[in-house]
Amino acid sequence: MLWIKDAHLVDPARGISGRGSLLVREGRICKMVVGEALTAETVLALLGCPDLAAVTQVDGTGKYLFPGLVDAHVHLREPGQEEKEEIRSGARAAVRGGFTSILAMANTEPVIDTRPLVEYVRLAGEREGKARVYPVAAVTKGMAGKEITEMVELKDGGAVAFSDDGKGIQNAETFRLALEYAKLTGCPVISHCEDTSLAGAGVMRKGEHSARLGLKGIPASAESVMVARDALLAGETGSRLHIAHVSTKESVQVIRMAKKAGVDLTAEVNPHHLLLADEDVPLTNTSYKVNPPLPSRADQEALLEGLLDGTIDMLATDHAPHTWEEKARPFAEAPFGINGLETALAAVWQELVAKGKLTPEKLVELWAVNPARRFGFTGGTMAEGSPADLVLFDPAWRERVTAETRESKSHNTPFLGKELQGFPVMVWIGGKLVVKDRKVLD
Amino acid sequence: MHWRHRNLLDLDDLTADEIEHVLQTAVPMKEILARPLKKLPTLRGKSIALMIYENSTRTRTSFETAGKLLGADVTNFSVAQSSVNKGESLYDTAKTLQAMRIDLVVIRHASAGAAAFLAEQLKAGVINGGDGAHAHPTQALLDFFTLKERLGEIAGKKVVIVGDILHSRVARSNVLGLKKLGAEVVLVGPPTLLPPEMGYLGVKLSYDLDRELPGADAVMTLRLQLERQERGLFPSVREYHRLYGLTKERLAKTGKATIVMHPGPLNRGVEIASDLADSNSSVIEEQVTNGVAVRMALIYLLMGGGTSRVVD
Repeated sequence: MLWIKDAHLVDPARGISGRGSLLVREGRICKMVVGEALTAETVLALLGCPDLAAVTQVDGTGKYLFPGLVDAHVHLREPGQEEKEEIRSGARAAVRGGFTSILAMANTEPVIDTRPLVEYVRLAGEREGKARVYPVAAVTKGMAGKEITEMVELKDGGAVAFSDDGKGIQNAETFRLALEYAKLTGCPVISHCEDTSLAGAGVMRKGEHSARLGLKGIPASAESVMVARDALLAGETGSRLHIAHVSTKESVQVIRMAKKAGVDLTAEVNPHHLLLADEDVPLTNTSYKVNPPLPSRADQEALLEGLLDGTIDMLATDHAPHTWEEKARPFAEAPFGINGLETALAAVWQELVAKGKLTPEKLVELWAVNPARRFGFTGGTMAEGSPADLVLFDPAWRERVTAETRESKSHNTPFLGKELQGFPVMVWIGGKLVVKDRKVLD
Repeated sequence: MHWRHRNLLDLDDLTADEIEHVLQTAVPMKEILARPLKKLPTLRGKSIALMIYENSTRTRTSFETAGKLLGADVTNFSVAQSSVNKGESLYDTAKTLQAMRIDLVVIRHASAGAAAFLAEQLKAGVINGGDGAHAHPTQALLDFFTLKERLGEIAGKKVVIVGDILHSRVARSNVLGLKKLGAEVVLVGPPTLLPPEMGYLGVKLSYDLDRELPGADAVMTLRLQLERQERGLFPSVREYHRLYGLTKERLAKTGKATIVMHPGPLNRGVEIASDLADSNSSVIEEQVTNGVAVRMALIYLLMGGGTSRVVD
């Protein structure tokens, strides 16, 4: 049993934000009280417990208590690319970063396109007992962009969404049929919007900075034209669509229009697209190489505006680990991807919340309430009876990002070596403490 | 002048004075090239490695000659015969060079940033012999030497650079340096090869060569990679030549004794008419000679040459 007291409780799913206490019993939230201090007698009565010694007490003074965050976009790399990340290391990195539920993308080796593979990912996540791992299954077999997968089987095996993320599905008819067929499952299809004819061999956003560095540019349209295509197809089919990693102002406009027209569409933005721009890309730091590429400052403004006005529904890390060897190459030769789970929340807190651009309530809505709702699992709230997935967040905790302290197997983050402020200090999953004083418990 | 650089990666690292200093140092080097007995003992016992990842006989030979004339031992790591073909990463190649105690590395690579990458790994100095579409500082310096030699000075002169600006490291490094030296630069090419983002260079961009030629003191025409036609960047050699090919008639529009430059190798009849390339206006061969002199100067300066006299 657990009594977290004097924390600032943020539960935007129920419109609650304020100082109070939270009680946990048998892995579930038993009672949340805001605005009044609880006496030990009341706590014992609420918990139905005779002895205060049986109740773990946590002092939340000066800290926030959030429902466990939900990250809708994570690459765990297992099976097949365990040198980059494993389900175990990724699930540990997730909780250290404040995420108690994560969606694991399907672009592993082999691709998650059959039921046994989905079940493997789900069960490996359960076995580890850190972040809850929800598998995303591929839209097309082998992610070849041709034949659609056995979506019903995949859903029965535990898939919560379908995506060929990592690649855009170039053939519009294939994508249209996938949207239609996915209706049998009720699960959203997540689209990685990238027109490869426009993206070509580009390695960063096309613009003055790509010209300056002599790097081949990817025009913003490589994303936006496919966002437009997919929004139209979702509207026409009446299917559920989620757009991954939105990074252009034109995409934001298209999504806004589509939502106005009633399309069942959600979208995410990755923290690195909000916080880092193309002009920040150093020629020899490939941790800044990511797909979609870091956008312009004007795009960043539109993305933030989209987050605030509800056009964009959620934040998601697009955690994409790569080994040091793969990244220690000239820019054009290194793989795309930023390692995000352990730094994303702190970076967003420091750059957006602490600077007043995003409220803590909105942050939790974007990174817990909305993704849980969209992908149809419990979480994102501290309502009585909910699983006690909780994050005690210390806005004053400063920490230098170092390879030694990290749980992820890879360290391809632009924040490596830098100091960030605002980290989760304690994390519980189903009432079980999994992170204490910034360390993942074994 | 005390030379403070260990590497030469691009011209934005150099001040106008430092560029002038390189060009000054190249003057006696060029005199040495004209001697019957050219070899100097200056860098005896020093080692230079040439890492040539891109086919480039011209640049490789130029650096090799420059190094040898200064008395250094020059080793060629040409891609075909090295472990690079066995998949060795640039990082490991750098480690190997480090272990061999090489003093100076010249790298030519298809990837932008390869030279800077190497410089971060090595204690030895690095000269960028061309990295992707990013930079080619030694080409720019030899162009400046040629301009100075022919035009007396660079400040106030009008230089038109025409061709595939988008993919050109020569154009980029030239503009960076020419601006520092006070020249007026105009970049000319079709919109597909001169996109608006090239405006970062802060010089005039134009699609119309004929309009820009009047008053030009020098026209630098760039090699057109013919395979860009397959990618749809220009429709045909015929139309390219019509719009941007340099001919004697067209050059007459400058209204003065303009010099014609080309970094080579030439596509005769494409970006430049054959008779113009071989005419008195052309300084293309002179550029090659100057290339050796300028590279000698750079190698000398980067290898701590400031302490001993180069010419006795």
